Amino acid sequence: MSNQARTTTDQILDLLLEALLERQQARQQPTQAETPPAPPARAIVDEPQILEVEPARATPLEVETAETTAVEEPPLEETLAKTAEPAPVEETLPEEALEETAEPQPDAALSSASPAQPAGAGLGPMLARLFVVLVVLVIIVNIPFNRYGTNLARALPDSAALVIRDGLLLKGSGEEVYVLQDNRLRWITTLDAFTYYGYRWASVHVVEDAFLERFERGLPIHLLLKCRASPHVYALEDGQKRWIKDIPTFETQGYLWEDIKFISCEELRSLPDGLPIPEDAGPPPQP
Amino acid sequence: MQDLGVIEQILRNRTGFFTEIKEGVGLHAKLRAMLLSSIAFFALYGAVMGSTHSLWQALSSAAKLPVLFLATLFVCAPTLYFFNVLFGSNQNLTQNVALILTAITVTAVILLSFAPITLFFLLTTSQYQFFKLLNVAIFSVAGVMGVLFLAQGMRIVSAGSDGSERGRRRVLQLWMFLYAFVGSQMAWTIRPFIGAPSIKFELFRQLGGNFYTNIFASLGEVLGFFIVG
Repeated sequence: MSNQARTTTDQILDLLLEALLERQQARQQPTQAETPPAPPARAIVDEPQILEVEPARATPLEVETAETTAVEEPPLEETLAKTAEPAPVEETLPEEALEETAEPQPDAALSSASPAQPAGAGLGPMLARLFVVLVVLVIIVNIPFNRYGTNLARALPDSAALVIRDGLLLKGSGEEVYVLQDNRLRWITTLDAFTYYGYRWASVHVVEDAFLERFERGLPIHLLLKCRASPHVYALEDGQKRWIKDIPTFETQGYLWEDIKFISCEELRSLPDGLPIPEDAGPPPQP
Repeated sequence: MQDLGVIEQILRNRTGFFTEIKEGVGLHAKLRAMLLSSIAFFALYGAVMGSTHSLWQALSSAAKLPVLFLATLFVCAPTLYFFNVLFGSNQNLTQNVALILTAITVTAVILLSFAPITLFFLLTTSQYQFFKLLNVAIFSVAGVMGVLFLAQGMRIVSAGSDGSERGRRRVLQLWMFLYAFVGSQMAWTIRPFIGAPSIKFELFRQLGGNFYTNIFASLGEVLGFFIVG
């Protein structure tokens, strides 16, 4: 079978060579009339059919040569393509090999689509390109661009995309930390208050001062102190205890009774007095 | 590049792909292609997620995300296989693994397609809880799509088998819950994948809590109900 195929190939190549020679000769001749102007389409179409039957016959080569002189390159290309078709080869292959060769072509729909229709192709390369682009981007966003090791992934200021919500902890360029409540910023007056109310430094977002200016200021948040032996309640601010005059004042300030922290009276007394709440409440009593 | 051809086949011609799995055509080549592709895609998505914290976290997540999915596959595949056999399926374990790996590959491809979005939010937001929930949502979408592929594949591959078709479907549904449960617990065990901004890089975090309570807590913080520490 392979010898026959080789013979066929040789014959085709011979035909090609002869056709080329004939054509070259024809061009060199001064009279163009003898050379046929253009081969009829029928001859081009018919030619491969003759060659397909060729392996079975041996003799009509001469006749064919005569015909092919009138035929140009296209039929020969077609012939080559025809002979390269896997149809006769497949018959000789075992079934396993056929399955293996069929594997890249999942079914008729895909196999027919992949070579002919560009829409069917290109998903693999597209995925590969997306992969490469993403790898490059991941590398880029992880490259530090200053001496502090800041990279693009962590370069933007926190205010760029904060979710504005109650409980949001914000800090500007100063020391003060604010908590957002009812769209107002409430200053957390002491570190004790900050920790007592369960805030965490990890949750504090450092923002520009201009961002803080967008919000109204609410009442400051104090740590409320009381000792059990005394009825008075004090708000701690800047290390000083501020006496809260009465219950209406306490409630006006937005304080909650459950937020009062109990400490010993000695400890409470040791804190210096600040201005009472309200400031015109008079001299503060000692606990 | 040839491995990516398998992905194209899965996405464009899934029926043909599942039929080939049923007939056992090129099963090992398919398994290899899906395995390599999904590892690469998961690793890249993991790197994107981890980039929000640090380079070390990016590398760590790139290694851990493929492990998460493949370990879940390893844990869950025998259950699906033996229950399918009980209900009359004539598939072998390799075919079962190929089907689950198809689902995982689809999940990986969808995650890869979401990677630019994740990268965008990584660059434009610094809210850890939001970023975490965004990723949970993305993983949910990708996981559901993968599981839908698995269901379709199971239907095609087990068509014509003996036993109860309904029973096999029920087994698959239960197995999907199991798969999600094991996957989420596995993710919790080998966390962090993103890395809390206030905590230094750590390869594994101490066990404590569970995946679901953490997600509810994150939801609570993003919606402003309370603050997660």
